[in-house]
Amino acid sequence: MSELVAALRSLFETVNEFESSIALRESAYVFPWVVVAHVVSMCLFAGTILMMDLRLLGVGYIQTPMSQVQRRLFPWQIAGMTLATITGLTLVYGNPMNYFANIIFWTKMLSMGIAGLNALAFHFITEYTLVQWDTSPTPPFGAKLAGGLSIALWANVILAGRLIPYNWFQN
Amino acid sequence: MYDYFAAIASWPVSRAINESSWIFALIQALHLVALAFLAGALLVVDLRLLGKGFSQQPLARVARDARPWLVASIIGMILTGVPQFISLATKEFESPYFWNKMYFLVAALLFTFTIRQRVTFAPEGKFGPGIAKAVALISIALWTGVAIEGRLIGFFS
Repeated sequence: MSELVAALRSLFETVNEFESSIALRESAYVFPWVVVAHVVSMCLFAGTILMMDLRLLGVGYIQTPMSQVQRRLFPWQIAGMTLATITGLTLVYGNPMNYFANIIFWTKMLSMGIAGLNALAFHFITEYTLVQWDTSPTPPFGAKLAGGLSIALWANVILAGRLIPYNWFQN
Repeated sequence: MYDYFAAIASWPVSRAINESSWIFALIQALHLVALAFLAGALLVVDLRLLGKGFSQQPLARVARDARPWLVASIIGMILTGVPQFISLATKEFESPYFWNKMYFLVAALLFTFTIRQRVTFAPEGKFGPGIAKAVALISIALWTGVAIEGRLIGFFS
């Protein structure tokens, strides 16, 4: 664990010295506008994820088969994720040491990781039974669990993301 | 006008939010969670209007299914937006981004609950695909404007 932290620290410190990284953080306009782009990307990504989660919970779009909800929103989720990743990486690239020492940033990263695992678990376990409940307005427990966890985890990602600049709990 | 804003900022509840080290931040963060739900409830219908997303479903059905989530997320936005406004009322008054956001917001709300609602709940085939696409693009543009100006308030005020 301490080796991982040391490796991460040296990576962040190296990026911190790049001229392009220094140029990004010295510009007065890059940071706010990349944040704006990150928020708009988040809207596309989280918006289409959350609406799918409502279907998994059986509380939204229940007349639409789950497979259709999933298939038809997928390209928009991927597009939103790609844009959010590009803008998010730009933010970290421009000021890596600001994020490295920030526990709220790592809370966000951890929540994203768990949200990803939740999506994979649904894909590899619950989705196998999808044909049995595809058109049912009340999905089985496993699907509701995946939907509820997804909402809670992505909400946590958004909350932590917005709280990063406050950097509470700083040593 | 400024005096009204100053009076609002001096309310005990406004000052309590402003003086707390975490209440404002938490409300601000919850505002973004509500934004994500709002964006989703708007986008499923706008995508359907563009012939994307749930295009195998009737437009009115998608709009009806999205509606409770649209209304709930707008209520969530107001409940988390008003406390931010009252606690910083004098700063907001001086911020051009705040006023831009309000103009976009009024336009977006009016458009959503008049023209857009009319088109999305109309009987099948009453409005052509050209009108549907225009409505979707205007909706996306107006609400994106609200989000962008809103986020900028925090940076340049």
